[in-house]
Amino acid sequence: MDADTDNKKHSPEKEVMKTEQNEGLIHEIMRENLHLEQEIKKLEAELCSDAREFQIKENIPERNLKFISVESSEHDDRFSNSCCSFQVSSQISYEIQKGQALITFEKEEVAQNVITMGKHVVQMEKAPVKVTAHPVPLNIGVKFQVHVNISKMKINVTGIPDELPEEQTRDKLELSFCKSKNGGGEVESVDYDKKSGSAVITFVEAGVADKILKKKDYPLNMNSKCYRVTVTPFIERRLEKYQVFSAISKRTVLLTGLEDVWMDEEIVEDLISIHFQRKNNGGGEVDVVKCSLDQPYIAYFED
Amino acid sequence: MSVTLQNVLCSLQEEQSRLKTKLQELQQQKRTPLISPKEEIPFPVPEVPLAFQGRIQQGRQVPKFLVSNLKICCPLPGGSAIVTFDDPKVADQLLQQKEHKIDIEECWLRVQIQPLELPVVTNIQVSSQPDSHRVLVSGFPSGLQLSEEELLDKLEIFFGKAKNGGGDVETREMLQGTVMLGFADEKVAQNLCQIGQFRVPLGRQQVPLRVSPYVSGEIQQAKIKFQQALHSVLVTNIPDILDAQELHDILAIHFQKPTRGGGEVEALSVVPSGQQGLAVFTSSSS
Repeated sequence: MDADTDNKKHSPEKEVMKTEQNEGLIHEIMRENLHLEQEIKKLEAELCSDAREFQIKENIPERNLKFISVESSEHDDRFSNSCCSFQVSSQISYEIQKGQALITFEKEEVAQNVITMGKHVVQMEKAPVKVTAHPVPLNIGVKFQVHVNISKMKINVTGIPDELPEEQTRDKLELSFCKSKNGGGEVESVDYDKKSGSAVITFVEAGVADKILKKKDYPLNMNSKCYRVTVTPFIERRLEKYQVFSAISKRTVLLTGLEDVWMDEEIVEDLISIHFQRKNNGGGEVDVVKCSLDQPYIAYFED
Repeated sequence: MSVTLQNVLCSLQEEQSRLKTKLQELQQQKRTPLISPKEEIPFPVPEVPLAFQGRIQQGRQVPKFLVSNLKICCPLPGGSAIVTFDDPKVADQLLQQKEHKIDIEECWLRVQIQPLELPVVTNIQVSSQPDSHRVLVSGFPSGLQLSEEELLDKLEIFFGKAKNGGGDVETREMLQGTVMLGFADEKVAQNLCQIGQFRVPLGRQQVPLRVSPYVSGEIQQAKIKFQQALHSVLVTNIPDILDAQELHDILAIHFQKPTRGGGEVEALSVVPSGQQGLAVFTSSSS
C-alpha cells in the first residue's frame, strides 16, 4: 500500500531522473570497485614476492673508530683502495609475553628433558604454580658480509658532452685529466662510454683521485670550449657469504603459565632458577632466567 | 525498476565496503614486513643454534640487524707515518697547522700533518631473490676431517662432472654448515636441484648430500660517508734521509713532547719511502 502511495507521489519525469542518477551512481561504484580490485591484486602480488625476498634497508649507526695496525709492502693491489667491510646478521629475538619466562640451561640435554617432561610445578611463596615447558619458536634470519672498495686510482666522470667523435673525446679526457695545475696526474687509461656520456679514468699514481674528488666537478677542454664535468668516486660494492639460516634454540626453554603470579619479577626468576637447578626436578645448571609478569620484553638470542 | 536498481546499488556498495576493508588489511600487512615464517620456505635452510644469554630490551624499537667485524683499511703513501694519541684533543690541536718541523740533532725535518678520513657505510639496502645459477649443498656430517679448501675442491670436482649431473663450476663459497656452488649453465643448476640427493666421496666416506636452490643477495645501495679518525694524524712528505727505525724513534720522541704540541702516543707506525702501507681500523667496542 505504501509503495503505491509513494509511486503516486512521484511524477514520471522525477522517476526517469532518479533512474538516471542511480544508473550513474552504479556505474561510478562499479568503476571504483574495479579500481579497488586492481589495487588489491597489485598488493597481493607484492606481498607474495616480498615473502620470497628479504628486503633489507638499514641505517648503520656511527661508531668510534680505533687504529689497529699498519701493513707494509712493496706493491700490493689492495693498497690502491680504501675499503670498509663488515658483517651483517639478523638479530634473532623472542618477545616474552606477560606470564611467560625464558630459561637457558648450560646443557642442551637438560633443556630437551625439561621440554619432554612438559608440565612442572614450581613452588612460589604463597602457592605452587603449574608451568608448561615449550621449545622457543625462532625466526628465519639472514647473514652476509659487505665489502665496499673506494678506488684511490680511478674516478667516475659523468656529464661528458657528445660533441666530438669517440676517439677524440677519449683523447680530450686524457689531456684534461693529466694537467697537474687542475689537480690531475698521469693517466693510465680512459674507459669512455659515448652512449651514457660517462667514463672511468685510471691514474698511474694513487692519491690523484683524492685530490680531484675534493671538488665535485673538473674542467674538460674540448677545442675552444671549457666544460665542467662531474667527478665522483669509483666505488665497488660487493656481498659475500650471503646465507639464509633458521635459528633454533637448543638450550633455552619457554615457560608458560605465570599469568596469575603477582610477585616481583626478580623473586619469581630466582624461584624458577632454584626449581630448575635441581636434578630431581629434571633440571640442571641454569645460566639465565627472565620472566615477564607485566610488560613484555624482547629477548635477544645470540651465538 | 527503481527497486531493482536500488538492490543493485546496495549490493555494489556492500561489495565496495568489503573491498575497502580487504585493501586496508593488505596495506597494514605491507607496512609491517616480517621475515617469512619457516613453513613458507620451500628449500632447506641450515640451522644455527642460538641461546638467550640475558640481553633484553623493552619498547618497540628493535634494530633488526646486527653489524659486527667492522674493518676499515686506508692506504698510506711511502714516506709517511701514522701517529695515534690517547687524547683526541692532541690530534685535533696538531691538525690546526698543516706544516710542522721535527727536530733532529742540529737541523729539522719539514713535514705535513693531515687528518685521516675513513670511509664508513651509513645505509645499506640489500635485496635477495632465488639465483638460478647457484645451488646450496647441505647435509654435511659433523666431524668431517677436511679443511675448507679440501672440501670445496672435492665438491667442485664431483659437481663439475657431467656424469654426476654437474657442469662447469664458476663460483664456490663456504657458508656456515653449507656450501654454495655457482654454475656457468643454469640448466645444470636446475638439474642438480631436481635430482636433489647425491652420494659424494669426501675423503674415505661416501656422504649423502642434498642440493637445493640458493637464494642470493645483491646490494642495491650502500651509502658512504667519510669519518675522521679522531685519535690519529697522518704525517706526510717526510724527507727520505733516515732509515725506518731512526725515523720511528725521532717521531716518537717529537710527538710525545707537550711543548711541541704532542702527548701520550698510543701507537706510531712508519711507512718507508718506496713502500706502500695500509692502515687498519675497527670500531672501538662500546
